[in-house]
Amino acid sequence: MNLERLPNEEKLCLCRKYYLAGFALLPFLWLVNVVWFFREAFVKPAYTEQSQIKTYVKRSGMGLLFWVAVLTTWITIFQHFRAEWGAMGDYLSFTIPLGIP
Amino acid sequence: MSTLPVVFSLSAPRTRKMDLPSNKWIVHLLVCCFVVGVNCNSVDKKIYVKLNYTVSCVRLLNATHQIGCQSSLSGNVGVLHVLESEDNLDWVLSSGPNPPYMVILESPLFTRSVMMKLKSGSSRVAGVAVVAPNTNPAGAFSPHTTCPNENSGVYSETYDPAMANCNKTVWNPLGNGLSYEEFDFPIFSLKDDNDTQVIRQCYLDHNRAVNGSRPRYPLCAMQLYSLMFAVTDTATCMRRNDINLSINPEMVCDPLGDYNVWASTRPLNNTAKGHKMWESAVVAAARLDSRSFFFDIAPGAQSGVSGFVALLAAAHALRDVVQEAPPNRTILYTFFQGETFDYIGSSRMVYDMENNQFAVDLDNIHSVLEVGQVGLRNDSKLWLHTDPVSRRNDSVNKEVEDLIANLRLAATNLSVTPEVPTASQPLPPSSFQRFLRARPIPGVVLEDHQSAFTSRFYESMYDNAEYLNVSYPPNLTPEEQLRFVTESAKALTEVATLVARALYRQAGGAETQLVNINADSQTVTQMLYGFLVRTNNSWFQQLIPSDFMSHLTNRPPNLYVGAVQQSSEPTVLVQFLMANLTGSTVNVTQENCQNQREDENDKESRHMYIYMWVQGAVPPNSTQRQGFCVRSTARLSKAVSPAFDLREFTSKDYSTWTESRWKPISGRIFLVASHELEMLTLGVGVGVLLTSLLLTYVISAKADILFSSGREPTNATY
Repeated sequence: MNLERLPNEEKLCLCRKYYLAGFALLPFLWLVNVVWFFREAFVKPAYTEQSQIKTYVKRSGMGLLFWVAVLTTWITIFQHFRAEWGAMGDYLSFTIPLGIP
Repeated sequence: MSTLPVVFSLSAPRTRKMDLPSNKWIVHLLVCCFVVGVNCNSVDKKIYVKLNYTVSCVRLLNATHQIGCQSSLSGNVGVLHVLESEDNLDWVLSSGPNPPYMVILESPLFTRSVMMKLKSGSSRVAGVAVVAPNTNPAGAFSPHTTCPNENSGVYSETYDPAMANCNKTVWNPLGNGLSYEEFDFPIFSLKDDNDTQVIRQCYLDHNRAVNGSRPRYPLCAMQLYSLMFAVTDTATCMRRNDINLSINPEMVCDPLGDYNVWASTRPLNNTAKGHKMWESAVVAAARLDSRSFFFDIAPGAQSGVSGFVALLAAAHALRDVVQEAPPNRTILYTFFQGETFDYIGSSRMVYDMENNQFAVDLDNIHSVLEVGQVGLRNDSKLWLHTDPVSRRNDSVNKEVEDLIANLRLAATNLSVTPEVPTASQPLPPSSFQRFLRARPIPGVVLEDHQSAFTSRFYESMYDNAEYLNVSYPPNLTPEEQLRFVTESAKALTEVATLVARALYRQAGGAETQLVNINADSQTVTQMLYGFLVRTNNSWFQQLIPSDFMSHLTNRPPNLYVGAVQQSSEPTVLVQFLMANLTGSTVNVTQENCQNQREDENDKESRHMYIYMWVQGAVPPNSTQRQGFCVRSTARLSKAVSPAFDLREFTSKDYSTWTESRWKPISGRIFLVASHELEMLTLGVGVGVLLTSLLLTYVISAKADILFSSGREPTNATY
């Protein structure tokens, strides 16, 4: 979808929808929000709805950073300690590698 | 100026000119095909030489350990090195310039010290390939431990601490324990034939260091692939078997197990399990299985075949006399499978007897006579091993003394001399120990060694026909070899006669009948041929049903017990032999026979007997085999460790051995280039990619300038 062709109110509506939907444990929607509306929020010359779009983009960015931090920590811990956790590690895994502990 | 040729070609009629070029191309193509021919060549075949014979060591797990070998997910690749001596290990472990190395060992170097050094330097060792010789080595090689089954027998700290862990007698002093070590590189076995010579030649041509100089690339390398799925121990792998979330669940390991074979001289009602009133049985036991360091090679001549062939011949010798003059007690013949791995078969049978899942009970057992390793008697002595701890009880001691006296009586006029070893010596590793764990039953284990094993190749791949001196004169056809009575067959026949007579006396038979009990050396030599040289012989073919014919092969059977789903070769053969040697032919139609009944209305016989339709011999003037029905009491009983039924995977009481699953095992040889050449090729490729991207970008940016020359409107007139 090309944002150039949309009127500004619809751009704001879209940005809000992505921002709110991202609270349903969907950080990729926030990533999309940040990447897609970045130019609209910070590069384009100012228009009325731009300040609101800017806040949504900033908040999406913060939520995204939070998710990245949490997921990176958990994935690092899991990959490092899965073998030591024995049965608990196996129950938490979806695919258990063959041939290595 | 440049427009003229364009106009010219545009104005000329097009249709005629298009036909001629396409025809020309078709003609050219056909001519080329005829000249060159259709040739398809695989690049894969030009690079790799696959190994034809791949036998590797595999991973086994028990409650606490994993043993065996493992390769990486994509196979281990290493530069070949043929080890010349133990000092040459220095090249592999520290000084060689191209690690990791794939070490080729000739069999004299396949020792514990070499393997332990390779294990400790395993970052530089990619794998080991052992060249198995065509004849047995002169020294000893036993990869088993020095104290077989030390934690699953009867001698524990509670039973008698002085005898636990082989403190009194070390049974297998020549054992180096290699089978029970864990290696994290693959170990394969190669035959000493032309393919192995190709490997050695490849090493000599490319890899040999000439007087201290570095061997130059390209080098000969080998890749061995034997990925084992299971890790850590049995509890982990059984848990991973059960957790299956993914779309195609993958089993990771299987318990070891198979079937025991048992038969009785008097038919027992197999449907009514548990204690049988007034039934007193003498158990005659033998072991069916063996193992070696490598997977699926287990000739087990001395450790398995000698014992069960002697017991089969004894059962055959007793067939007639137990019909004519039946003794008081029943003789229960039992052949246990899986005894190498902590007594799988005997522990299961004792467990079934304790839980009323077997035709008789432990209270029904009067005594036990076990036939152990009896193939290597170098003089006439046969040793009668007993358990000193249970003999401290006077009544048990008296029964054991009676059994020994019966054995001595049975040996009169035979060339076998029964001898009793030191009274304080414990029992050797034997299935009888599992019966003793349940209750103190009197029993004797027959062996050809006084204390330590005489066998130099206990549980190894060299324990074969050659080791038992089963050799035939040259220039005999297979049929003649089958009938030829070897010296070792004669010696084993004497042992079988002794066992038969002793069993008859022990079961309460009359002494006067003993002279009529004689084992047949022809039967013994045919059985030895079948189990040590090849199973596909005319005698075995007569004794089996026709749908079993495909299981007979032209090589000796493999006695490894294997996973539960994989049936072990000797088990069913022993069942058919037992049926034919102790059973009788009955006049029953094939359909009734295969439905376990004597006629249409018979519902009772199936509880007492088992009926088999065997294909029989080919009569002289026809080509069709004449089958007949054999009625016997030879049955199979499940031999899987009780630990798996009880789901106690860390059990210390029962065997917990499992075998890992794996993807198809393979190996191949190829030449490798130096690391610098690989990096150079990669660099050139990346460079070409970037250059082409750059060129495309530049050309597309300047497209109007480069391609403007041909763009004139076609309707220009001049």
